[in-house]
Amino acid sequence: MSDTFVTASPHWTWFIIPYFFVGGIAGGAYFLAAALEWFGRPEDRPVIRTAYSLAFWGAVISGALLTIDLGKPFRFWHMLFQSDNFPNVMFKGWSPISFGAWAIMLFGLCAALSMIGAWTDEGRVRTPAAQPLRSGTMLAKLVAGLGGLLGFFVAGYTGVLLTVTNRPIWADSPWLGGLFLASGASTAAAALLLLAPGRGATAGSLAWLESFDMRALVIELILLVLFVGWLWPIRQVWLSVWGLLLLIGVVWAGILWPLRLHARPASAAGGGGMLRNPAAMVLIGGFLLRVVILLASNGIQHQMATAIRR
Amino acid sequence: MGSNMAECHPVAFRWPMKAKLNGAKLIHVDPRFTRTSAVADLHVPIRAGSDIAFLGGLINYVINSQRWNTDPFFKEFVVNYTNAATIINDDFKDTEDLEGVFSGLKGFKEPDFWPENGNLGAYDNASWAYKRGPKGPGPATKDLIAKRAGPPFDDLVRSLKPGPAERDATLQNPHCAFQILKRHFSRYTPEMVEQVCGSPKEKFIKVAEALLENSGRDRTSAFAYAVAWTQHTYGVQMIGCCALLQLLLGNIGRPGAGVMALRGHAAIQGSTDVPTLYHSIHGYLNAPSALRPHETLRDYMAAETAPTSYYGNTPKFLVSYLKSMYGAAATAENDFGYDWHPKILGDHSHIAMFSAMGDGRVKGMCCVGQNPATSLNGQATRRALRQLDWLVVKDNWLTETATHWYLAPEVKNGEVKSADIKTEVFFFPSTQIAEYDGSYTNTQRMLQWHSFATKAPGDCRTDSWFYHNLAKRLRKAYATSTLPRDQGWKNLTWDFDPDPADPAYGTALYPGEISALKVLREINGYQTADPKQHLKGFGDLKDDGSTTCASWIYCGCYPAPDQNMTARREPDPPGVPGAHLKWGWAWPANRRVMYNRASADLKGNPWSERKRWVWWDPNFVNPPDPKTGKPVPHGKWVGYDTPDFAATKAPDAQPKPDGIGLDALSGAQPFIMRADGRGWLFVPAGLVDGPLPTHYEPHESPVQNLLYKQQSSPVHKVWSLGKPWNPIASVGDPKFPYVISTYRLTEHYLAGAMSRWLPWLAELMPELFIEIGKGLAQEKGIKNLDWVVVSSPRGHIRAKALVTDRIGVMKIAGKTIHHVGMPWHWGWMGLSTGDVVNDLTAWVGDPNVSIHEGKAFVCNVERA
Amino acid sequence: MVTITRKRAAVANEAMGFFTDTTVCIGCKACEVACKNWNQLPSTHGGVSEMSGDSYDNTRKLDGTHWRHVKFIEQFDGPYNGRWLMMSDVCKHCVKAGCIEVCPTGAIIRTEFDTVVIQSDVCNGCRACIAGCPFGVIDMNMISGTAQKCTLCYDRMGVGLEPACSKACPTDSIQFGPISELRTRAQKRVDQLKAQGEMRARLYGDDPNGPLGGLNAFYLLVDNPEVYGLPANPQLPTRTLTKSGAMSAATAAVLGVLALVGIRKRRIDEKEGATIDV
Ligand SMILES: Nc1nc2c(c(=O)[nH]1)N[C@H]1C(S)=C(S)[C@@H](COP(=O)(O)OP(=O)(O)OC[C@H]3O[C@@H](n4cnc5c(=O)[nH]c(N)nc54)[C@H](O)[C@@H]3O)O[C@H]1N2
Ligand SMILES: Nc1nc2c(c(=O)[nH]1)N[C@H]1C(S)=C(S)[C@@H](COP(=O)(O)OP(=O)(O)OC[C@H]3O[C@@H](n4cnc5c(=O)[nH]c(N)nc54)[C@H](O)[C@@H]3O)O[C@H]1N2
Ligand code: SF4
Ligand code: SF4
Ligand code: SF4
Ligand code: SF4
Ligand code: SF4
Ligand SMILES: [Mo]
Repeated sequence: MSDTFVTASPHWTWFIIPYFFVGGIAGGAYFLAAALEWFGRPEDRPVIRTAYSLAFWGAVISGALLTIDLGKPFRFWHMLFQSDNFPNVMFKGWSPISFGAWAIMLFGLCAALSMIGAWTDEGRVRTPAAQPLRSGTMLAKLVAGLGGLLGFFVAGYTGVLLTVTNRPIWADSPWLGGLFLASGASTAAAALLLLAPGRGATAGSLAWLESFDMRALVIELILLVLFVGWLWPIRQVWLSVWGLLLLIGVVWAGILWPLRLHARPASAAGGGGMLRNPAAMVLIGGFLLRVVILLASNGIQHQMATAIRR
Repeated sequence: MGSNMAECHPVAFRWPMKAKLNGAKLIHVDPRFTRTSAVADLHVPIRAGSDIAFLGGLINYVINSQRWNTDPFFKEFVVNYTNAATIINDDFKDTEDLEGVFSGLKGFKEPDFWPENGNLGAYDNASWAYKRGPKGPGPATKDLIAKRAGPPFDDLVRSLKPGPAERDATLQNPHCAFQILKRHFSRYTPEMVEQVCGSPKEKFIKVAEALLENSGRDRTSAFAYAVAWTQHTYGVQMIGCCALLQLLLGNIGRPGAGVMALRGHAAIQGSTDVPTLYHSIHGYLNAPSALRPHETLRDYMAAETAPTSYYGNTPKFLVSYLKSMYGAAATAENDFGYDWHPKILGDHSHIAMFSAMGDGRVKGMCCVGQNPATSLNGQATRRALRQLDWLVVKDNWLTETATHWYLAPEVKNGEVKSADIKTEVFFFPSTQIAEYDGSYTNTQRMLQWHSFATKAPGDCRTDSWFYHNLAKRLRKAYATSTLPRDQGWKNLTWDFDPDPADPAYGTALYPGEISALKVLREINGYQTADPKQHLKGFGDLKDDGSTTCASWIYCGCYPAPDQNMTARREPDPPGVPGAHLKWGWAWPANRRVMYNRASADLKGNPWSERKRWVWWDPNFVNPPDPKTGKPVPHGKWVGYDTPDFAATKAPDAQPKPDGIGLDALSGAQPFIMRADGRGWLFVPAGLVDGPLPTHYEPHESPVQNLLYKQQSSPVHKVWSLGKPWNPIASVGDPKFPYVISTYRLTEHYLAGAMSRWLPWLAELMPELFIEIGKGLAQEKGIKNLDWVVVSSPRGHIRAKALVTDRIGVMKIAGKTIHHVGMPWHWGWMGLSTGDVVNDLTAWVGDPNVSIHEGKAFVCNVERA
Repeated sequence: MVTITRKRAAVANEAMGFFTDTTVCIGCKACEVACKNWNQLPSTHGGVSEMSGDSYDNTRKLDGTHWRHVKFIEQFDGPYNGRWLMMSDVCKHCVKAGCIEVCPTGAIIRTEFDTVVIQSDVCNGCRACIAGCPFGVIDMNMISGTAQKCTLCYDRMGVGLEPACSKACPTDSIQFGPISELRTRAQKRVDQLKAQGEMRARLYGDDPNGPLGGLNAFYLLVDNPEVYGLPANPQLPTRTLTKSGAMSAATAAVLGVLALVGIRKRRIDEKEGATIDV
């Protein structure tokens, strides 16, 4: 029996799952935007702008979900400042939730700045103060650079957060951070593939996105295999609906099937239905990944430990 | 054995656990593996109701063991301190001779005026008596009665002295008590124990060996029992059997020894000392009865006084009691008002009264601090309650008894309509113990005073308030009556109102409340002439009316208005034997171990250094006698405890030929409440169902009695015999093949009003369940937590199954018998509710004390 | 500036805690009720709950409203043949406490008695500590909206009182006192049990050099810890922080490289005039 079986579930469920999902997309999107901001071309601007919006709204939604999930939402700020020694800062570099909270804060800030820049670009914002944030400026690049790094951080720390617990599945391997990160990247690319065309993305940008998405999926698959392999000693945890969902929903529908669609582009051209759209499938798979990881662990309760105890 | 101490007396269980840490061995004999068994060194399973076979087996094993026959301690103790050597009448016939009954068995005919006694038969115990020499000279008792002799009543008591009992100190005489019991128990072999009790032979022998090993000069063993030994049709005999064994092992009157009754409710001991019992008046004197020769004061004294024991003082106890009842109106001329005192008609115990109620012979009932609608034989009890004109329930909670008329299962399922019930029900909210001052007396006979912690909310009043005001009103109502039967009420003294001018006895907590200290004074006693002169002890009691004392055994607990011994809270320091004589006050006379003269040998020396408790100090310089001023010879009983003996009577003192009371006993007869100063192995009088314990089957049993032809006790009680509300299963009835026992859980209290309303307790044991073994569960396809229906001839109820190996199958008489068990705390009120287990039990009980046989009957279990 | 450090704060007083001798526990649950009483904790569904079917255990686990919990373990091979283990479980007041490590608000503190206390007015209910505790001790209290657990009766200790649970324990299964003293006493008891033939007797969590730097609520067991639902080798949640962080960083690096490689490939492809794979 794994030692983790006797621990208690933190009940992170229907606020945290979408938070992890949205946070992953937001972080991944910002990273992709930053990559294009630095190394892309002007024709990538629609994608960048889409990514900035994704990152910004993703950060807002993430923050909201995270806050709502708290038992005492109005004490959200206790994670940032020492409530009994205000305004001393509350920061624990060894606690993922603590540094994660700061990361989301800063990430949101960067995303907001980048978005203002993008809006300025589009002419939606006209204040002179926002001009230095226009795309292409050094400031925009710096903000994007920082935000991009934070983006990967935000996408990946959620996995580390789960690992830095004593819960079954989560704490039993070091791979969750990477897995969530890869998944964040792949879902971000997929989300951009779906949204960017509406904002005038060029074929060149989309092609790059798609090829990146497929590579990220491969990395994700490798990490998933490592992750599941690491859990071999407690393989009984997969003998549940979650194991099935992992296999069908995440591995097949979310990774293998999109990869296959991609490898045979002809079939994709046929159009029609989500099943034919690799990006949609990637998003579904990415969501299910988080559902499976969170709920499979949450499901292992005291009762199960009792049954194991003899 | 006979209790589940860890679960039912968890706080007291601290001490067995401490003993265990000090190396004591703990054994638990119980049909279930309980929380007591869990911490015991040995658990021995036993079929409910078979304890006499087990104990009898131990007795047989002990008296035939090498250790018992070679260690001189046992002989010395048994020959001198018990009645082993006493010769019994020649015409006594044992169960050995009569296939399971004793000589003297006759039929029992219910008297017309009270046909609710329930006895199936009765014994004439004349043949069980000691064989005696001729009676000494002196006036005959009947002449003294005719002459209205006394007070003082010493001559009357002296006239009761019988001739000397014959003894054979070699224990060889076939008619001596020892030889009789040896023959009696010879059938109780380890093999027989295994057959009858279902207890594995090896485990039984382990118990016997442990007892032998841990008894003797240097070691003692104790038994703790509670209602697993009382709730049987031979419960008193079970306890007697244990006492017999302990006397044989020298385990009575010594530290770490004895037969400990673990009592139930807080102050339930007090409730029998200052009794709410029908059959005795304060201090265990028998209540004047229409069925006994109790016509006049002197008749009562003649019938109830054992002249050659401390009970030789009965006239003093009785007269002081009557003075407490009738005060100044009680005079020597009117026999201290004896004729005004009510007399009982027969069995007025709980079930007898409910049986009478069921027959329409009881009009009203005050139910104060009891919940009979679920606590005893539910359906028959509720049927009886519906025959009442009025019912008063005084409780802290709306109990099942208070709500039976609209919420009982039979009302809910339409069998009974509320509209058809004519009973008028009154509910009085009561205070809780923390809301008033008073004392309680618990298991170790110790009185402890408690002060109120908080005032009761709303209209809640104490029970003493209720009875105090009821008594005052009744007195007023009878004040003008000239009927002879009302003279008792007219002359009753009732002085419990607090006196604001004299706060010595406290002030009232609630309007109309009594002074609790005045009640304590009444119980303790005082000089009639000056109520502020409290009595110092029962040695002060007089039979001429100059002392007033409600309960002689409590005399001394409140020796002066400013000296409430029960309020003392001074424990002994660590490292001493720990009699804790300054903590509270224990009756009699603050003794913590009764009959503790037996902790010393014949010469008054401790049996061993390790077991030193009370001993004779020959050099003690006594002050002169305070009454006569005469010098008293050196020597006194001293020790850690208050010696339970005449303080300056030397071990070699001889009985005075003309002596009564303790003067009739020698210095080496420790059992001063017994007429011969000895522990009774053979009980010549006092028990209605035989002088020696005998294994009978419970009234309902799946098997035949393996030991005798007589199946169950020939004289036990069945109330409402043959009535449809009390049907009984026949022996081995295939419809009810399982043995069932009912019991308690730590988490709940009795009928549950005090625990099922409390969320903290309700969540700990939220639902009624039945514990069944894995074998039976498999056989019946019952899984853990399945709902099952449990039925007996009286009814059926639902419960969840708790499938466990802690209870299970037994081999009885070669038959496979499944044993199941249920806690009985549930009812329909409260947060945690459940069916009423007592809907399964029968109106069947013990002939001595009329307790119901709730511990062993038969049932069936099916999946719901 | 009040800095938050990971170093264990120096403890002002002698370390205090519990030694629980499970061999004398009678499963009376007085400790559970005393704790609820003192801390005024509510009951499951106000007391209207269902039985669990797990022996006599109906409160099932430690959580935000059950800061003490008595476990019942039936070890039987057949009718009447076996033993029934009981153990009153509580927060272990770990010397290296996982809950403190992960708490992002600093709500969980180490007190001057070397005990671990959640300050309910600081906690924001993020529940990291629940998952971080190796023993499953903490859970939410839905009424306060915060994570809660045993405080080792910090409020009582402050005024020189013994914790409510140990005070109520009739058999002294729960013993309260200075840890050093308790350790000596516990070792004596193990020796006694071994001398009586109970060779499985052992202490759990008494070793300051053992897991988590020792537990300030430690136990005497007579079987493997797993039998009692205790982890054999409790660990800090942060044990994989570095590894996991490194793996994530590596993944990030690989993905970054892949992204850049893609951009570069696009450039090269275009230069070579290749068509774009749409
Ligand atoms: N928590 C709690 N404590 C209580 C009470 C309560 O309701 N709850 N009630 C109080 C009261 S009023 C009383 S009278 C006492 C009663 O105290 P106990 O007599 O100890 O209580 P029970 O649980 O009725 O029965 C004890 C044990 O008897 C076993 N048993 C049943 N039949 C037999 C038998 O024939 N022989 C033997 N050897 N064992 C048998 C049962 O399995 C059970 O374990 O407890 C008092 N203390
Ligand atoms: N099948 C089965 N039946 C049994 C038993 C068994 O073992 N098996 N055990 C038997 C035994 S030993 C007993 S003692 C009986 C107990 O049976 P009961 O005495 O009928 O049951 P309790 O629940 O103790 O009822 C006491 C009531 O007094 C109330 N009360 C508490 N304090 C006060 C007070 O100060 N004043 C007033 N007026 N009320 C107060 C409580 O709220 C409670 O309702 O049950 C017996 N019934
Ligand atoms: S309920 Fe009261 S009397 Fe019974 S064990 Fe607990 S403290 Fe003692
Ligand atoms: S047992 Fe759990 S809750 Fe208690 S101090 Fe240790 S980590 Fe914290
Ligand atoms: S729930 Fe409260 S105590 Fe626990 S980690 Fe979060 S803030 Fe800290
Ligand atoms: S120490 Fe206090 S808070 Fe902790 S379990 Fe005991 S009673 Fe409850
Ligand atoms: S109070 Fe003591 S004996 Fe009772 S369950 Fe708790 S630890 Fe065990
Ligand atoms: Mo009782």
